[in-house]
Amino acid sequence: MTTTASRAPLAKPASRRRPSKRRPFNPRRAGAWALLILAIAVSVLPFLWVLRTALSTNNALATNAGSLLPAEFTFGAFKRVFGLQTPAEAVAEGGSGAAIDFWIYLRNSVVFSSITTAGAVFFSAMAAYAFARLRWKGRNAVFSLFLGTMLVPPIFTALPNFLLIKNLDLLNTMLGMVLPYLFMTPFAIFFLRQFFLNMSREVEEAAMLDGAKHLRIFFQIVLPNAAAPIATLALLTFIGQWNEYFWPLLVGSQDDVRVLQVGLGVFKSQSPQGAPDWSGLMAATLVSALPVLVLFAAFGKKIVNSIGFSGIK
Amino acid sequence: MTTLTRNPRSREQNPKRTLLNRKLPGTRSDVRIALFFIAPAMIGFVLFYLVPTIRGIYLSFTEYNILGDPEWIGLENYQALAKDPLFWNSLAVTGQYVILNIALQTSLALGLALLMHQVAKSTIIRGALLLPYLMSNVIAALLWFWMLDYQIGVVNQFIEWAGLPRAAFFGSEEWAIPTQALINTWRHMGYTALLIFAGLQSIPGHVYEVAKLDGASAWQTFSKITIPLLRPVLVLVLVVTVIGSFQVFDTVAVTTGGGPVNATRVIQYYIYQRAFTESDFGYGSAIAVILFLILALVAFIQMKFLKGNESDLD
Amino acid sequence: MKKMKATGALAAAAAAVLALSACGSGGGSAEAGKGEISYWLWDANQLPAYQQCADDFTKANPDITVKITQRGWDDYWSTLTNGFVGGTAPDVFTNHLGRYGELAENKQLLAIDDAVDKDKVDLSAYNEGLADLWVGQDGKRYGLPKDWDTIGLFYNKDMLSAAGISEAQMKDLTWNPEDGGTYEKVVAHLTVDKSGKRGDEPGFDKNNVQVYGLGLNGGGDSSGQTEWSYLTNTTGWSHTDKNPWGTHYNYDDPKFQDSMQWFAGLAEKGYMPKLETTVGASMADTFAAGKSAINAHGSWMIGQYTGYKGIQVGIAPTPVGPEGKRASMFNGLADSIWAGTKKKDASIKWVEYLASSACQDVVASKAVVFPALKASSDKAAAAFQAKGVDVTAFTEHVKNQTTFLYPITDNTAKVKGIMEPAMDAVVSGKAPVSSLTAANEQVNALFK
Repeated sequence: MTTTASRAPLAKPASRRRPSKRRPFNPRRAGAWALLILAIAVSVLPFLWVLRTALSTNNALATNAGSLLPAEFTFGAFKRVFGLQTPAEAVAEGGSGAAIDFWIYLRNSVVFSSITTAGAVFFSAMAAYAFARLRWKGRNAVFSLFLGTMLVPPIFTALPNFLLIKNLDLLNTMLGMVLPYLFMTPFAIFFLRQFFLNMSREVEEAAMLDGAKHLRIFFQIVLPNAAAPIATLALLTFIGQWNEYFWPLLVGSQDDVRVLQVGLGVFKSQSPQGAPDWSGLMAATLVSALPVLVLFAAFGKKIVNSIGFSGIK
Repeated sequence: MTTLTRNPRSREQNPKRTLLNRKLPGTRSDVRIALFFIAPAMIGFVLFYLVPTIRGIYLSFTEYNILGDPEWIGLENYQALAKDPLFWNSLAVTGQYVILNIALQTSLALGLALLMHQVAKSTIIRGALLLPYLMSNVIAALLWFWMLDYQIGVVNQFIEWAGLPRAAFFGSEEWAIPTQALINTWRHMGYTALLIFAGLQSIPGHVYEVAKLDGASAWQTFSKITIPLLRPVLVLVLVVTVIGSFQVFDTVAVTTGGGPVNATRVIQYYIYQRAFTESDFGYGSAIAVILFLILALVAFIQMKFLKGNESDLD
Repeated sequence: MKKMKATGALAAAAAAVLALSACGSGGGSAEAGKGEISYWLWDANQLPAYQQCADDFTKANPDITVKITQRGWDDYWSTLTNGFVGGTAPDVFTNHLGRYGELAENKQLLAIDDAVDKDKVDLSAYNEGLADLWVGQDGKRYGLPKDWDTIGLFYNKDMLSAAGISEAQMKDLTWNPEDGGTYEKVVAHLTVDKSGKRGDEPGFDKNNVQVYGLGLNGGGDSSGQTEWSYLTNTTGWSHTDKNPWGTHYNYDDPKFQDSMQWFAGLAEKGYMPKLETTVGASMADTFAAGKSAINAHGSWMIGQYTGYKGIQVGIAPTPVGPEGKRASMFNGLADSIWAGTKKKDASIKWVEYLASSACQDVVASKAVVFPALKASSDKAAAAFQAKGVDVTAFTEHVKNQTTFLYPITDNTAKVKGIMEPAMDAVVSGKAPVSSLTAANEQVNALFK
């Protein structure tokens, strides 16, 4: 794909059209860069502010509302979040003295996200293969049905699903939280089906000539070939599951199955009759964001590049 | 992968006669093996999508407080809905949110995508813009709840230094929903920008060369070439964002909880409130049915009128 | 080979399922009289006192241990409700007059009449009226009283003296819905704008207030416990037709609406913060930051207010109303047992211990709340005194019988759902007080 310098899809009315490459300083280009940097700043700086607050002492926050550095540097907030401070110390620092244990929430989030991702991706891959490669009557109709589920608002199925989980006596268990996501997500099926449709068929055909059955082909040829998009899908699904709030709120309210996002919401309302424990809250937010940030640092390029592909029909 | 400009179904409609597609003598249809492959997803679909949809519709005709048994009351829930000021309020509030959110988000994302396309395509920049999207709604909401705090939030501190009166972003009825829309825009603009950016990448360069040769100005190129060619992407983005916006919940739940007064009592929050806090499952289900119908209608209208299925390049 | 792979996978899946389902269920011995019982409360300030009670209890009953969990107020009730629905509620929990009606109606509470009779719990040892509150509409007892609280005015001593108001004046305030009595005068005088002008001086800029005379917690929803009930109930008005177990609310009464008109007017005049600024803020912390001079709050906050550094806090009783008497909402907490508990006998023992002087004296000595037993609450008053805090403003309501109960009815969650936005709208000035009549109709429709 060629990019000519004179292509100017910007909405700004151009003063003159001239090749921008040769100019040492193009005000329009500088302006564009300035805007871009502004956008990046707006996207990234809030997190730095969160870090700054997390390292501050609560009681000093009011007086140092605008300073860029932590107000009275302390690790107290993080200690509070992990239950390492005694109630008395916590109250002294403006926290709530409540026993919040983010280790458990962290563990629950990891378990929840991992299990649902593993299950959903694997089973969706199987279904996507059936939709893409196998021939059977009604295939397209069933696929349209599955696609239709993407339209159903999650809240609409959440209420009856809650009742179903309750009837199965699985409320406040990890199994109950995991079930609705475990078997498939519509997006995963759609995504993988696209990929399978466009995959080259030669190796599969050769294997079929050798007498291999579909099951073998799927596990030994198709899956390995699809490793890259499956990995990307797993990443995106994991992040999505990590960020789930509504369903875990409904089904996982007891401490031993609560996930991080729900824990965050709870943390905010912990202080008795008071304003939120801001520094503790920000520390908790960072802890909740950390695993995703780590994944992003490790697989950032993959994730960024996947956005374009996954978004287009 | 630039398979974007082709209708992906074209391969299906004109399948090459490959081994996989031709019925070999003695080969039966793949139904049995397909059933095996589809089984788990089918279980998930039936148990957690199909059955709940039906059950949800059933529940909307009952009165049910979870601790007892559902009691059939026919259309009473719907009749009460029609008279319920909070229901209409939730529609208005959600509508306001959706419009603000879409307008801001789409225009900012489009602008960002163009900027990136023109000036810098590096992964680092794209990654930085994507960062808010990777955070959950809860994190985004709490972060801004802190920064926009009336008493000691940094934004109000700057506002005060600039000589303006402090703004109660979450506390004032006028600002509450726009603030929620701003938070959501902040979280999504990078992601949406990347989506549009990918669409921009797929526009073949020769189209622009021709335009330049024909003497088109920047604005003409933008409005008559770029936008029309971006249409499938833009429509997809619009549909997905609108449907997503209607279902705002997380940010409201952890910040304002429906208040002040009813300024942020959006549909999904109202459903949650009636069903779980006030133990009125039947009524909550009825509202959910209405929401479902609204979304189906909105999606249908959008797809129909914006003709998102076609691409002008075909 | 394919088959073995499949069955292997299935077996692994089944094992995983079993393992996961075991994850959530709690363990516990089968006997109802021993083992570990779970106890929930929401006030972190009271946690140390109850932890000591738990330790003492286990010393006296070695085969029972108590695991205490503290949750913040919002989280407490929603998690509790979830626990009822999901069958994972705690064995014993702190109950609130405003909520227990629904819980009893939904059969989530264990009736303890038999145990109370058998163990000869002396109900007369509690402060007047408290024990009866916990008898449901069906005549059964669902809790034993734990503590009580009333409302008082916390004020900033330095601001008072700077304004030339004596503490004696502060303790003798009057109020009426027409002109606010001396209460409004004092509040106005204590309000100071950014240029130093007081609220009752010419040139006072109500849009640039530095210190508000009266702090604001919120709109007060259906009870207005700390916000306005100490005023509205001096006019002869009460929330419901009878209490407990009324079935008709009175928010359409002109006496109520006139009082709310006055209350909302305070914010308009600039003497009280605007409602929108209270989101995400705490009235007590705002007081501590020197932004308000008087806060009307409950006796459970004594520890917090007196603990703020750099502020000299005084406590005055609520104003005398148009009928010549004061009024304060009287709330009491109790400990209730979940109907689905597997540790019935152990839980009953724990509840009786909590309601006995052994525990209530411990709570009294820590000077955080007023326990329900008469003798213990006197000890608590003395403990407060020893800390230099004069709590007569709170105790005199009980002595002079100027208390009125927290409204106890069915459907409290729905009533709150209707009244919270309605009261917010009125207090923020967005809706006239006449809008409360429509809200009242909605509320009363719940009882038809």
